[in-house]
Amino acid sequence: MKRLILLAAGLVFSAGTLAHHGWSEYESDKPLDLTGTIEQAGYEQPHGFVRLKTADKTWLVVLAPPSRMENRGLMKEKLVPGQRASVHGYPHRSKADEMRAENITIEGKTTELR
Amino acid sequence: MAQGAGVLDALAATPLAGAMRESAWLYPIVEIVHIAGFSVLVGSVVLFDLRVLGCATSLPLAALGRHLLRWALASLVLVIPAGLLLFSAHPGELAANPVFLLKLTLIALAGCNALAFHLLPYRSVAGWDRERAAPLLARLGAGLSILLWLGVISCGRMLAYV
Repeated sequence: MKRLILLAAGLVFSAGTLAHHGWSEYESDKPLDLTGTIEQAGYEQPHGFVRLKTADKTWLVVLAPPSRMENRGLMKEKLVPGQRASVHGYPHRSKADEMRAENITIEGKTTELR
Repeated sequence: MAQGAGVLDALAATPLAGAMRESAWLYPIVEIVHIAGFSVLVGSVVLFDLRVLGCATSLPLAALGRHLLRWALASLVLVIPAGLLLFSAHPGELAANPVFLLKLTLIALAGCNALAFHLLPYRSVAGWDRERAAPLLARLGAGLSILLWLGVISCGRMLAYV
């Protein structure tokens, strides 16, 4: 019985250590600053995104859940195609054109996304 | 494959899927329903499995099974529709996500394992209903069940991060 409880605790613990947290898929030691024009924007669940056309390529930039962006003053009306935007964030480990933004700056206003 | 993508795109284009992506509160509420449902599902299944593995052998196993497994089945009424709604928000991405495919595989295996348990060792439960160790085949099935369901939950949680 005791052995069983220990086994269960071990299983739960190992499952927990396997689970990443949301930023581990991105390389936080290689911060990235991009500026460009929003080609496509999704103010949607479970998290928003923009496709940002920069000088050399178009990035898929992962943002925060819409409710968080709204609470921090980044309204849906600002996240539209044609809008200029700068993001500071980290590139995805395996997807070459995806990054996750720590913050986004639109019309001089910076919104923290974490 | 292209036909499959067509079906997924059509699903993503439905008004309900649109509402899942656009509404401020619908997606989190459906997530909560999904989690509440599988808490009951995995909770009852794991407690039943622990009993088969030798915990609380003073409790009659068949009666406990009737109680717990009924609730496990009933919980599917919440779990499955909520899961389909969550899937509908981003079907293309999920269908291409290896962790999601692993999750579906583990669910299928857990189902087959449960079916095999009921068709094979559980038929003789009267002989090990109380104060007796379950046969090895039953204990193997119960142990596998716990591992599979922990795997399903882990995959579900990991979906947010891959």
